[in-house]
Amino acid sequence: MRIIHVVVSPLIALTVGVLFLGLSRKIIARVHRRYGPPIYQPVIDVVRMMSQRSISHGALFELGVVLSLAGSFVTVLFIPLGGTEVSRELHPLAHGVLCPLCGSGGLLVVIYLMLFSPLGLALGAGASANPNASIGVSRKMLLALAYEVPFLLVILAVMSHYGTISFTEVVARQQQGNWGVLSVPLSAAAAFLILPAMLGIRPFDMATAPQEIASGPLAEYGGPYLALIAVQKAVHLFVVISLFVDLFLGGGVNIITFLLKMLAVFLAAEMINAVLPRFKIEDAVKFCWKWPTALAFLQMIITVVSK
Amino acid sequence: MLPAIILVIAFGGTGLVYLAGRVHPRLRDVLAVLSSLVLVGVISYGYGRWGQLTWFSKFLGVDLSLRLNALGWFFSIYIALINACSMVFSLSYMEGKERLDFYYSMMLLVSASMLGVVLSGDFLSFYIFWEIMSWSTYLLISYKRGLALHAGMKYIVMSLVGSCVMLVGILSLHAQYGTLEIVELRGLLAGASGGYIAFLLLAMGIAFGIKFAILPLHTWMPDAHSEAVSPFSAVLSGVLVRMGMYGFLLIMYSLVGIKTILELGRGAWDFHLLFSWLGALTIVIPTFIALLQDDAKRLLAWHGIGQGGYMIIGMAFGTSLGVAGGIFHTINHGSYIALLFLVVGAVEYRTGGVRDLNRLGGLMQRMPVAFLGCLVGIMGLIGIPLTNGFVSKWVIYKTLIMEGRPFLAFMAFVGTWGTVLSVYKLLHNMFLGQLPQEYSKVERSPLSMQIPILFFCLVIFVFGILPGIPLRVIQGVQREMGFEPLELTLWGVASDTGALNMLNICLALGIAFAVVFLVMRLGPKGRKVSQDDSYAAGSYVPADRYQHSVEFYNPLYRMISPYLKDRADQFCYWIADRIGGLSDSTRRIYTGYAGTYVLYIVAFLAFLIFVQLVWKTW
Repeated sequence: MRIIHVVVSPLIALTVGVLFLGLSRKIIARVHRRYGPPIYQPVIDVVRMMSQRSISHGALFELGVVLSLAGSFVTVLFIPLGGTEVSRELHPLAHGVLCPLCGSGGLLVVIYLMLFSPLGLALGAGASANPNASIGVSRKMLLALAYEVPFLLVILAVMSHYGTISFTEVVARQQQGNWGVLSVPLSAAAAFLILPAMLGIRPFDMATAPQEIASGPLAEYGGPYLALIAVQKAVHLFVVISLFVDLFLGGGVNIITFLLKMLAVFLAAEMINAVLPRFKIEDAVKFCWKWPTALAFLQMIITVVSK
Repeated sequence: MLPAIILVIAFGGTGLVYLAGRVHPRLRDVLAVLSSLVLVGVISYGYGRWGQLTWFSKFLGVDLSLRLNALGWFFSIYIALINACSMVFSLSYMEGKERLDFYYSMMLLVSASMLGVVLSGDFLSFYIFWEIMSWSTYLLISYKRGLALHAGMKYIVMSLVGSCVMLVGILSLHAQYGTLEIVELRGLLAGASGGYIAFLLLAMGIAFGIKFAILPLHTWMPDAHSEAVSPFSAVLSGVLVRMGMYGFLLIMYSLVGIKTILELGRGAWDFHLLFSWLGALTIVIPTFIALLQDDAKRLLAWHGIGQGGYMIIGMAFGTSLGVAGGIFHTINHGSYIALLFLVVGAVEYRTGGVRDLNRLGGLMQRMPVAFLGCLVGIMGLIGIPLTNGFVSKWVIYKTLIMEGRPFLAFMAFVGTWGTVLSVYKLLHNMFLGQLPQEYSKVERSPLSMQIPILFFCLVIFVFGILPGIPLRVIQGVQREMGFEPLELTLWGVASDTGALNMLNICLALGIAFAVVFLVMRLGPKGRKVSQDDSYAAGSYVPADRYQHSVEFYNPLYRMISPYLKDRADQFCYWIADRIGGLSDSTRRIYTGYAGTYVLYIVAFLAFLIFVQLVWKTW
């Protein structure tokens, strides 16, 4: 059973992630009053790129991409993707928790596994010997430092509110009582404010800015490598949004409700993406360290005091 | 008998190597490596053979004794291994340098005295070995002369202050209880008052804190590291600094006892919480100062200080899990920081002494093994899963969260992110990006450098995937100190409140990596191009000037550098200036002219006569 879960979870992440990418282009086009590409356009792109030939700057240039995508897939295995153990009688369609490796380390491992994909891309980009790539990586690192400060406060507030480091336990406690968005509301607000930064979408897309630094780390990539990076972006999108749903919206009693909640969060984030222009990196750092950090900090004080 | 044999081999090796150098340099090199390897063998044979012996009775009325126990063995093997690796590394790194007899025998003396410290059974032997360690370290730090003399002076002055305070603590123990035997003192101290325990912890703590480089006492470390030769930096940061950790463990848990420590102080003055907060500050501030450094070894030195904070937090917290994490992090840190110093040493060796991060780049193509070492080292330093640094950090984080201290956990996490940024800069500026023309002919590191680098890489992964091996030894150490044993498995920590299974994580990553790699291979293979053949959006690219590494995180530097002044260092220099000024004005009394001295004598006689006339004292 667990083996099946291990295979199914990444496949769900892949399908939904790619679908969301297509949806994203469609939504932005509609907001801009264009017609937009078909929703399956990313699939076409990936298949086309897989057949094209790219240049290569050596083994690390290629392995960095592989490491990045593998890291994202493994992260998916540690995140509960819907399902419940606590309220199965109440919901006829509920199933057991879909999280094959939740028992191997909990939320702390998720935080660290999420390092693999930026690190892999940074290594590959560094091996490409293109200064645009290096500038992009430097921006990506700074942005990560900027949003990790509030993000860690958020995760710690949630973990100390529920008194556990186990991810399934956090979800189960929400399904029994209030959702996280009600019991730790300021953390939820902070997490939503940094959501675009974690996803790397506008107004926080300075790391891969096409017009300024030739897409940064992606500058030298093409063909199958670029296809894998596109897939990585999709899986990463899935990881971040599912984290939000699990931490604040009580996960889902089954995979369908889980995906519906994800869709709602994704649409909200896309609305910001569609209308805001890009920040400068300094402003992004200042923003992340101001409002989201203040909110998350306040929530953590409340959590510690009320314990 | 065994601890005596170990010390005889260690100190004997020192003298022998010096004499061998007089005969033939080759003989000296062989002997130095051999004696450090023999030590590793003898110490590993000693596992489980605990015992105590008196090696000098009634020295100043005190019996001097040696003992081998779990804590001592744990630190001995760690000292011996890192020392052996840096000995092997020295073979080519030091080749052709001057005063090599002195260098090799001092390296062995440092490790011998460290072994003495961890094997002593009473505080007088402890103090004697501690002093030998401080002085031999001083000589090695100032080995290169020039600026190194200044760094060495800074170290020895701070070290002496620490020794004096420690001596006060030891003497008070002797005055109070009439013995310095650690085992006996443990029983006697059970009835001591809280005030005396606090005094003892403070006196010893300052000495250990200076060696350990805890925040306000850290100022000697960055200078010492950037001036010492690289193989010695590895020993210095990997083990010597961690003798402070041994000291803390010894007095806090072997001597005073866990129960007393946890009950010491109350409210805001709770001892173990205050100490944990000191650890938290030691993590954050030095890590962000490291971000601003451009000298590779200085950057690593600041990380050495910062990582010490994790050990302090874990150890000070006083739970079984926390202390295990603190001790485990000590050896983990030793393995990857030593590895990183060796890598920087290898780069220095091949590029002619360059370690300025703004002048290197692209060396991955020329020095693949050094690159691999650097990559694994920084992964350990960050604590990426599959490396040993991850396991110990996970254990420490879990302790902090489960005990309801999220703010401490937050400080520790932010420190990790500061580490990610600065070590990526280290890796990128040395090994990634474009290879400058002047280094295009650089050769691979020699075999004697590759062996220690690969050995440390292996240790980092083995302890990372099967952390049960070292944790079982740590369990023995903890049992000795009176902690509840942890629930362990070979691949992690078993627990009801969240277990860790590194083998699963390893398998998942391995399989995912293999699958993605195969998918990538389905597409056409990439066409290999030179590094200059890269996309520049149509603009002209001058050759050899196409590397983004200077001011790598420029926007952040501008934001944080005003807040990150090393105030403690400035304060020490201020005090040193004042003392210098005071001594200078005292010196002016001695002008060197006979006339002035006559004047002093006459003035003094006049003063005496005046006193006699007015008060009739005589």
